[in-house]
Amino acid sequence: QTKLLLFPLSSSCSASFHSSGETQIVSEQAIQREETMLQCIFLLSDSGEVMLEKQLTGNRVDRSICVWFWDQLLSHGDSFKQQPVIASPTHYLFQVVREGITFLACTQVEMPPLMAIEFLCRVADVLSDYLEGLNEDVIKDNFIIVYELLDEMMDNGHPLTTEPNILREMIAPPNIVSKMLSVVTGNSSNVSETLPGATSSCVPWRTTDIKYANNEVYVDLVEEMDAIINRDGILVKCEVFGEVQVNSHITGVPDLALSFVNPSVLDDVRFHPCVRYRPWESYQILSFVPPDGQFKLMSYRVRKLKSIPLYVKPQITSDGGSSRISVMVGIRNDPGKAIDSISVQFQLPSCVSSTDLTANHGVVNVLSNKTCIWSIDRIPKDRAPLLSGTLLLENGLDRLHVFPTFQVGFRVQGVALSGLQIDKLELKVIPNRLYKGFRALTRGGQYEVRS
Amino acid sequence: MFPQFGATADTLSKASTIMFRIGTDAHLYDDPEDVNIAPLLDSKFDSEKCEALKRLLALIAQGFDVSNFFPQVVKNVASHSLEVKKLVYLYLLHYAQKRPNEALLSINSFQKDLGDTNPLVRAWALRTMAGIRLHAIAPLVLVAVGKCARDPSVYVRKCAATALPKLHDLRLEELSSTIEEIVGTLLTDNSPAVVGAAAAAFSSVCPNNYSLIGKNYKRLCTILPDVEEWGQIVLIGILLRYAIARHGLVRESMMFHLHSKEHSSSENDDSDVHSTVGKVGIDPSKKYDSELASMISRCYIEGPDEYLSRSSYSNRVSLAFSGAKFTSCKNNEDVKILLQCTSPLFWSNNSAVVLAAAGVHWIMAPRENIQRIVKPLLFLLRSSRSSNYVVLCNIQVFAKAMPYLFASHFENFFILSADSYQTKALKLEILCTISTDSSIASILKEFQDYIRDPDRKFAADAVAAIGLCALQLPKMASTCLEGLLALTRQDFFTSDVRTSEEEAGVLVQAIMSIKMIIKQDPPSHEKVIVQLVRNLDSIKVPAARAIIIWMVGEYSKVGEIIPKMLITVLKYIAWSFASESSETKLQTLNTVAKVLSNSRGENLETLQKIARYVLELAECDMNYVVRGRGCFFRKLLSCHLGSKKLEDEVITSPENEGLLNVLAEHMFHEQAIQQSPVPINYRVYLPGSLSQIVLHAAPGYEPLPKPCTILHDADTEADVSEQDGSGSFTRSLDEESGSYNGSDHSVTSGGNTESGETGSSSEDENIQDPLIQISDESHLLPAASADLEELMSKRDLETWLDDQPSLPNSTIHKESKVPRSARISIKDIEKRVRPKTYELLDSANGNGMKVDYTFSSDVSNISPHVVTIQATFKNCSIETISNIVLKHEDSTAKPSDCSESL
Repeated sequence: QTKLLLFPLSSSCSASFHSSGETQIVSEQAIQREETMLQCIFLLSDSGEVMLEKQLTGNRVDRSICVWFWDQLLSHGDSFKQQPVIASPTHYLFQVVREGITFLACTQVEMPPLMAIEFLCRVADVLSDYLEGLNEDVIKDNFIIVYELLDEMMDNGHPLTTEPNILREMIAPPNIVSKMLSVVTGNSSNVSETLPGATSSCVPWRTTDIKYANNEVYVDLVEEMDAIINRDGILVKCEVFGEVQVNSHITGVPDLALSFVNPSVLDDVRFHPCVRYRPWESYQILSFVPPDGQFKLMSYRVRKLKSIPLYVKPQITSDGGSSRISVMVGIRNDPGKAIDSISVQFQLPSCVSSTDLTANHGVVNVLSNKTCIWSIDRIPKDRAPLLSGTLLLENGLDRLHVFPTFQVGFRVQGVALSGLQIDKLELKVIPNRLYKGFRALTRGGQYEVRS
Repeated sequence: MFPQFGATADTLSKASTIMFRIGTDAHLYDDPEDVNIAPLLDSKFDSEKCEALKRLLALIAQGFDVSNFFPQVVKNVASHSLEVKKLVYLYLLHYAQKRPNEALLSINSFQKDLGDTNPLVRAWALRTMAGIRLHAIAPLVLVAVGKCARDPSVYVRKCAATALPKLHDLRLEELSSTIEEIVGTLLTDNSPAVVGAAAAAFSSVCPNNYSLIGKNYKRLCTILPDVEEWGQIVLIGILLRYAIARHGLVRESMMFHLHSKEHSSSENDDSDVHSTVGKVGIDPSKKYDSELASMISRCYIEGPDEYLSRSSYSNRVSLAFSGAKFTSCKNNEDVKILLQCTSPLFWSNNSAVVLAAAGVHWIMAPRENIQRIVKPLLFLLRSSRSSNYVVLCNIQVFAKAMPYLFASHFENFFILSADSYQTKALKLEILCTISTDSSIASILKEFQDYIRDPDRKFAADAVAAIGLCALQLPKMASTCLEGLLALTRQDFFTSDVRTSEEEAGVLVQAIMSIKMIIKQDPPSHEKVIVQLVRNLDSIKVPAARAIIIWMVGEYSKVGEIIPKMLITVLKYIAWSFASESSETKLQTLNTVAKVLSNSRGENLETLQKIARYVLELAECDMNYVVRGRGCFFRKLLSCHLGSKKLEDEVITSPENEGLLNVLAEHMFHEQAIQQSPVPINYRVYLPGSLSQIVLHAAPGYEPLPKPCTILHDADTEADVSEQDGSGSFTRSLDEESGSYNGSDHSVTSGGNTESGETGSSSEDENIQDPLIQISDESHLLPAASADLEELMSKRDLETWLDDQPSLPNSTIHKESKVPRSARISIKDIEKRVRPKTYELLDSANGNGMKVDYTFSSDVSNISPHVVTIQATFKNCSIETISNIVLKHEDSTAKPSDCSESL
């Protein structure tokens, strides 16, 4: 089956693997092939049910493609699920999986695959923002909103409006008031009657006439620390991916400038469209007209860090058909603020038949798929948390020869571990009442300790 | 109102979920047909209409056909409620093409809405009107689009731009010029948002109409950073194509390879730049693989299919771009401004924009500045898991051509446990490619960690990667060998009898890697062979044993220790012959035969004894392949086997014997297989394209335009007609009608068909460049794994040579591998099999003109379902023939003709 996938569709033998009937259909489509990019978007539930289809062009894609897709998924398992681009016999498929929901887009022609993937990610973001989470029920319950959003976000296979702030003004998100209203009156409209002003302004991410009694702007540094500690306990990679998240509620059209104390630590950056490139190029100042509300102003990367907040020391010894495991967790470099939400997660090797794990602090859970989650939260003052126990190996195995990787999660509030510091936030025109707030937060990202 | 409430509210939790669902459209989705929809549609209340429409949409969402409600729904298009309108539009767009006649009923209402004061209403009306795609109303829509293109509202103008491709899809020739005109107007729009949408329209309506771009090139470049992100992606591609078509390639860029080859001095000048860039003192020969780069750039311009199908390797190299002209980015303003305006896009939040911008710099930027794309690309790796894979696929090509770019960033490709298998495999390959003397130590350390990974398939790949690294950096070979040897001695491979299949895969891969490294320089690794042979007793995996036994035969004369221990080893393998698996048996036979035919003098008798013993056992084997091989060797080696007359009474005549000797000699003696540098045969498509990910030209994939084609107007014309494909030479026929058409063209007389010669090329060539290539495909990224593929084919070749006597297809190493998907690529069949030529017009009947046509094996660039026909016109007379008209009989719509005078 995979071979079939790998076969170049364009080679002259491509037709040979369609049945004759199919070939007819395909070739008809091919002849009046459309130049449009995405042809159709399907939303699949985690059981493979097609919850929604949105045809984007006149050339309709039959749902049977989803059946094909799901069959492949069942027969190939995880490796198929993680394949973002799939060549089916009739279409190219792009898939993005978010919280159990599969977003599937189809095309028949060449297009930038990242564009499709990025778009599907945006759709997923917008939907989970609108519906406050994603699952089968909320999508079915709000299918009209999903339809309207998809219709607005994409026209004829090309993205139309994807800026969340504008979408919110065109299609009202479901909220408790509108729900109640609809119960009482039996009538609700989530379609805006007017075009958001921003669609025509030169700052397309912001409506022009915003008024607040209290002007506030909050800037958060949210960082995720990635680290790899190899089997010898050596730190081989440590870097931080951070975001500058801004929540602004300011009257009129404010012009903000944000500067850092130490912009030189930044290795690479990416910006929201509102950021002007020029001032950054010359002075490393973020100058921008913010969208209203919450948005991600910038993401950045700081490489080659040397210190990690936590150590995790796993030890596995085995003899005679069972293994002893012990994992110790402690603070290596104190970040100065409390570290909480500490958790250690690892996948037991498939040759382990049963386990008996206990911890002197925190809760240990072993899930049915042999994932072990140890939630520690905070490290107590008096003792170092220790997880220990035995792993019973399958019959015939004398000792363990594959070792799990430990994924560590944690959270430090009030500190950006990259060391990045905000200098000041300036407004060109200062409104009468302005509150500025700064916060920082670091989370464990892809923080892996091998054993 | 909620009948389900009472029924299901047994528990509080259920009740709460129901409470949560109150006010949503849940009941409509769950039970869309619990009321009669038709009367609701005719209701005079908007709310009831809404409900009915929502129910219909719920049915559509669930995959039911509700087109029978079409007439009633269309009536509601005139509703004043925007919500009803929106829902009606959603329904209409879904079914309009199915019910064209009824859809026409809605046109009046659209016309009215187009004059509405609310821009939202105008935009929606336009979108829907164009979206229902009816030929009958196309002129009306075109007028509407033209009007909306001058609308004061940006949003409406944007929608006008997106409506153009919908019109274009109808393929109405008479409208196309107007459509292009409107595209041109919209491209000059003041608002960046409109320009973005216009760019998208341009690329689907008239991608080759460079004059539209030429007029606004500078303005489009400067506006690029302000265009909305999706438009940027398309616009970058358009500007790149224009710049190349207008100015050609940049002399300092990666694409300009020929020059760098001829003038190695200029290369040396660059080298100090590179070494500062690459930080570590990289071997200058390694940092820039100009041959690879040349292949890549050719592929970009010609498309890999065309490039790879070109008949021979030498041809590929010698054939320079005939019309290729070069420009310099130092003094060409257009190129400069393009590079300047795309560089801030590296900071874009949209990963597709970053990749597109990186593509422009990869192709156009001077080589010393390409370094700029590295950091943004690496940052993309963190954006989302799905895009991760796509970005890696592109990085892989960049890294292959210019390993030094990524050499110092190797730790970005270290593997995380959450990566998917494909991602892991890609990262391994990239790590191998970019490893340098300074980084190899850390990379090998990582690989050692991976061997302990619970995913054994991946562990096997890591082992293979160690082998590749050793090949790439010969200095590391002994270190790698040591590690690999230690791995084969692990007791979990040896002690446990029932090692799982995956475990065995790791072991086999380790031994294959060892074999690969040894092959580079057998004498210096003699000890390794000895150690492997010593371990033979403890290694139980048949495939692994087979390889080791093969090595015994292959390197039986290498060094000093092996010849001494040879007899003992042979005795051992002969003794264990009966208990081996058949693949090991086959290799045992090969080894014994090899050693026997090579040996002279001492020990001959013992050898003969062993050989006779083994052959006897083989001839009684259960497996017919082993039996066959046994018989064959007995005949072949009859003279070596010694004094005893063979039982069968075949009298071998002296010259026959001599022949056998020669044959055996050829088969078993060490032969320096002269491998000419294997042409790099993998497919490369433009960075960021879909084709690069799926590794075949997706329909609609267009390589870069030929450089400098819009300088000469005449050339452009020819090019366009060729590329358009609706021109004369490539016929759009699907398979069946193709053959019908063929008979239309009166190829009735079978005598005319002349079969082309097949297999004209020599055997040697066949071996070096196999027609059908079976390659390992575990990485899903086959073609790009050049080194692997190269090794693979070499190894296959060896096994093939070894097994040639009895059955060429029992490639032992193939079998021994972990089950993987394989790819069979048939390449360049044209080289060997000339397609049949059919005579279309006899020179006698055609006034001296002879026309032949062939179904070429070339893939059409229009669609995979189109067959390419190549027509050859030959003037057999003395006079000039002019006004040759080629006419398509079937599609009367497009009688395309091509006239040329010879």
